[in-house]
Amino acid sequence: MLALARVSKTYPNGVQALARFSAEIRQGEIIAIIGGSGCGKSTLLRAIAGLDRASSGTVTLDSEAIASPHAKIGIIFQEPRLLPWLSVADNIGFGLADLPATERREKVARALERVDLADKAQAWPRELSGGQAQRVAIARALVPQPEVLLLDEPFSALDAFTRRDLQDHLLDLWADTRPTLILVTHDVDEAVVLADRVLVMRPRPGRLFDQIEINLGRPRDRNSLLFENFKRSVLTSLDRSLDRSVPDRDATQGPGQAMWW
Amino acid sequence: MISDAPALQRSSEPAESAVAPSRLSRYVRPALGLLLPVTLALGWELVVWLGWSNGRLVPPPSRIFATITELARSGELVRHIAATLWRVGLGFAFGVIAGTLLGAISGYWSLARRLLDPTVQALRAIPSLAWVPLFILWLGIFETSKIALIAVGVFFPVYLGVMGAILSVDRKVVEVGRVFRLSGFAMIRRILLPAVLPAYVVSLRVGLGLGWMFVVAAELIGASEGLGYLLLDGQQLGKPAQILAAIVIFAILGKLTDWLIEVAAAPFLRWQDAFGRAKGA
Repeated sequence: MLALARVSKTYPNGVQALARFSAEIRQGEIIAIIGGSGCGKSTLLRAIAGLDRASSGTVTLDSEAIASPHAKIGIIFQEPRLLPWLSVADNIGFGLADLPATERREKVARALERVDLADKAQAWPRELSGGQAQRVAIARALVPQPEVLLLDEPFSALDAFTRRDLQDHLLDLWADTRPTLILVTHDVDEAVVLADRVLVMRPRPGRLFDQIEINLGRPRDRNSLLFENFKRSVLTSLDRSLDRSVPDRDATQGPGQAMWW
Repeated sequence: MISDAPALQRSSEPAESAVAPSRLSRYVRPALGLLLPVTLALGWELVVWLGWSNGRLVPPPSRIFATITELARSGELVRHIAATLWRVGLGFAFGVIAGTLLGAISGYWSLARRLLDPTVQALRAIPSLAWVPLFILWLGIFETSKIALIAVGVFFPVYLGVMGAILSVDRKVVEVGRVFRLSGFAMIRRILLPAVLPAYVVSLRVGLGLGWMFVVAAELIGASEGLGYLLLDGQQLGKPAQILAAIVIFAILGKLTDWLIEVAAAPFLRWQDAFGRAKGA
């Protein structure tokens, strides 16, 4: 289980990006974090990844505190960030340097099959399309079999068709080892397609505003009425989060419970 | 021409979709560059051959060529080339080693950069030839001062190139290294070195060019052998063909050594967009 306890982040220039964010995320759960710009969603993700240290509060994975990048936590960025001097296969195997060569090759070959890029194994990253490059990035992050995979708006730079294709592809890959997925997005559609639970954040300072369980089976039909309903409730919550007249409530406590302050 | 391709062709290879240049334009374009010098050379050859000029101060190509073959036959040419190559080689090696080390240190540790860089930049502002009298006093008139001068010329572009390249390594790529928990040394070997390599090769080539410039200066100052000595000897004895012969050989050697660096680096830079691809277009 991944536990976030009152995680706050204040930058040296005094801007508070994140205020007392708490959440508990079960192993294998898919979480989408959504919110207006400047709501601290990327800050939160970088704190979980151990790339930036939180100013206060703790991130713990299975009761182990996370302060620096951890072997069990992988991350996929908005850009593929492939290393241009390595072939596609070597990029995917980048995190497996400690393994013996034969085992590494096997794992890489399997991963290449899984993302349908076996024919691109020896290609340079520059020869890939945007969608292919992001698939390599996904394979690179998944190949060390992380328990938690963080995704920072991973499909936002892609066109609508490729994005849809990759969302389905991601779910397909997720089913292999069922890592916890935490996906930052600004796309309501994407959040509802992928997530078990959508966390809505509110800006200035970034904090948790609401959470919505998406009780839909998989695979999800993007055109069903039920899907539309969930999308609408996420959108409504998002609108309310941006409306300054709506007060905060403690989302982690659920409705009907007293606020602790 | 890549941007002209329809957006739906994303998955196809952009390089293949580019129209291959026709055979004609591939051979004609470089030939166009040769047109002017070859015409001038042949024209001058003709003028001298017809007796319209005696070609004493500006010898025709045939006489320059004859001078080179004559020097080659007597063994003089090899001796002079060897002397010059030896100086450039040693000076280049020392300059590259010092430039790479200090450049890497300045690029990697910001404290070292604050301590070191202002001094280096100040020294860089001094025209390198101004060191000549001092080097001769310190190191003598013979090889050491010449090699030191060449090394100084090579040092600055390499230092600047390495430091600049390290400072401009993409933070996002370094972050990938951090995510995979690379230690300091692994980060240097697996992220920083390859990222810096293209700029490093460029700085080596610039440094080598300066090395060739400074070997001339060093050999003009006082030498008993070397291509620079041939220049000076030709001037003092009134042999313009010998001067031009030395210049031609400088050009050939300079181009050749530069090409060697390019060829040696090419296997490591195949991943670059610009390499090879730009040449085909």
